[in-house]
Amino acid sequence: MRTITTLALGTALVAVAGLANADETWGDFGGYTLRVKLIGGAQYEKLYAEIPKWEAATGAKVDIVSRKNHFELDKEIKQDIAAGTIDYCVASNHTSFAPQYGDIYIDLNGVMKPEVLAEFDALSLKNATVNDALVQLPRHSDVSNLFYQKSLYEDQANKDAFKAKFGYDLAPPDTFDQFKDQAIFFAKAPDFFGTQFVGKDEAITGRFYEMLVANGGALFDENWNPTFNSPEGLKSLMWFKELYDSKAVPAGSLNYLWDDTGMGFASGTVALDLDWAGWAAFFNDPANSKVAGNVGLTRAPKGDGGKRSGWAGSHTFSITTTCDNQAAAVSFITFLTDHDNQMIEARQGLLPTRTKVWTDIKAEFEAAGNPFMVEVFDVYGQSMAEDAFTPPLIEPWIEVSNVIWPNLQKGILGEMEPQAALDDAAAKAKVIMEDAGYIQ
Amino acid sequence: MPFWRRESAIPYLLLLPALAIMALVVAFPLIFSLYTSFTGYRLVRPDSLYDWVGLRNYSRILQDYDFWVAFGRTVLFLTVVLNVEFLLGLGIALLINRITWGQRTLRTIMMFPMMFSPILVGFQFKFMFNDNIGIVNNALQSLGLSDGAIAWLVDGKLAFFSIAFAEVWMSTSVFAILLLAGLFAMPRDPLEAAKVDGCNAWQTFRHITLPFLMPFAYIAMAIRSLDVARAYDIVTVMTDGGPAGRTELLWTLIARVGYDNSRMGLANAMAYVSTILSILFTWYFYRKLVAARRYMGGAQ
Repeated sequence: MRTITTLALGTALVAVAGLANADETWGDFGGYTLRVKLIGGAQYEKLYAEIPKWEAATGAKVDIVSRKNHFELDKEIKQDIAAGTIDYCVASNHTSFAPQYGDIYIDLNGVMKPEVLAEFDALSLKNATVNDALVQLPRHSDVSNLFYQKSLYEDQANKDAFKAKFGYDLAPPDTFDQFKDQAIFFAKAPDFFGTQFVGKDEAITGRFYEMLVANGGALFDENWNPTFNSPEGLKSLMWFKELYDSKAVPAGSLNYLWDDTGMGFASGTVALDLDWAGWAAFFNDPANSKVAGNVGLTRAPKGDGGKRSGWAGSHTFSITTTCDNQAAAVSFITFLTDHDNQMIEARQGLLPTRTKVWTDIKAEFEAAGNPFMVEVFDVYGQSMAEDAFTPPLIEPWIEVSNVIWPNLQKGILGEMEPQAALDDAAAKAKVIMEDAGYIQ
Repeated sequence: MPFWRRESAIPYLLLLPALAIMALVVAFPLIFSLYTSFTGYRLVRPDSLYDWVGLRNYSRILQDYDFWVAFGRTVLFLTVVLNVEFLLGLGIALLINRITWGQRTLRTIMMFPMMFSPILVGFQFKFMFNDNIGIVNNALQSLGLSDGAIAWLVDGKLAFFSIAFAEVWMSTSVFAILLLAGLFAMPRDPLEAAKVDGCNAWQTFRHITLPFLMPFAYIAMAIRSLDVARAYDIVTVMTDGGPAGRTELLWTLIARVGYDNSRMGLANAMAYVSTILSILFTWYFYRKLVAARRYMGGAQ
């Protein structure tokens, strides 16, 4: 009995000490309920399992009033704006979506401690800034690099056949032209595919955009006139079309989104996969992936302009201007993006936005004898530092994207001549930019 | 004495709550959305509600080729699914009507597809028609009927077939139930008289059963032509109107313009133009219903 009492007392003391320590860090919001809307999905959920720790430390409760994929959340937030029902404090956000929302989110520069912000990657904070206001705190970033099945590149028969056909040595591709050659070479449809691409929504617009930039083109000129129907734009569209026509990608690719490409590579039926780091741990996990132990990684290829593709962005948290307890909201998003919680997300392969986490996660994987994940953070770290760029951070971006991607599909499927498809999309994009006041 | 205290005012006063509620839940949203269709209203800019643009949204729609293609495809979709649902529903109703044992159980089972959320139906058929891992291609390949991956959700005709198939699967039982109700209500005398007169089964069906059922069929069609917009969820999940707009229906187009692009003014104008479709279908089925009832009443 005495032992039990001692144990209980000891546990209580430890808990109280822990709480006292946490109180100093996260504040005391006892009795308050913080209403939040968060992005949902398998790779985002692990972080939310930590929320009870913040609740225990602050005495507050977190009411997750909505948890949806980002496209659905975006629609819901737009309806909230229209109905004037923004009755929550924190919402998940994204650098590509944030410019649409006007002034519903506060500038974090005024409310967050400068020493906390200083621990974040400067470029991530810059990309999270809209009209000089830091409307969101970066949670994790995304940029894509190229995963491949190593065994295909080690096979001597493959090496010989490839050299004979294309005249250069088989090695993980450094350019989009090589990427295309190799994808076509490896494909044996319908059982095995050279690669795959996300085929609809902003996903394919983003892929097209980063290839356009890598090829030396641009979406708009300095006066916001669309210029993606340039020769560089055509070359980028033709990359997709040639892969599709040669059956190097699954026929259903044009309906694919991120889950489809990730699961496709993990199924072992795809040679090359340009994808975000969030899949890295999954791909190398034998319980989930048939390519575990056989996964190679190289930086995203270069285009004709000598630049690598690097379409990037960050998932973020924002605080609403209608929030009735900004201190609690600031505490909450600081907690969700603190060192320990970013380490939790980084263990899955999600790219941290705090600079120290990059160093610490690599050290942890090195100590654990996991060279693959060390390589993942090396490659993606280099990519974030040298290749990453965001789409134009302008309000009509999603609307412009919505006129580009259906026409990319028309060009790929041959419903329109590729140049005509781009010209038509550019004309529609121009009207949108005129309506939004970017073109006078 | 004021009007509202007179005895003759009582019916109006009694109707007033109902009228007020109708005005609130039906008339006000209709008038509000009609008004917004003449504005440049954007969801994320509440102040744009007062941005009057006159007929600009309607003039854009008239010149919008993609809108009219989606309009035509929606007419085709409605025509195909309503007819297929009618034929299958009629067949199921006739078969169940013949059953003497376990009919109630079968009627309940028949209603299962209606109980599914359209989103779930969409995911179910998206998986089944997936070109790479879908059960349909898998079955066709295993049976030796196909040696390639058929792109069900990409090929223009097949994608249209796939979304129509999902919609028909979910809603055929609506027809079956209404037609079965018609069969239950059918008087036996004309059928027996036909038998006495020497009619065969086809003649009895063609000249007695079917004309009797047609009013029920037209009621079902009128209801379904308005209700079929529920297919929005199915189409959104399966193809989202793509690829390359090959399965774009008015509902997916309007939702994208209104919510993704935030152009609610333009979306409402599209919705008002598309109500022409609903009015035409309802008017057509109502006329057929009146004609069928007149026929049954012996007027012709």
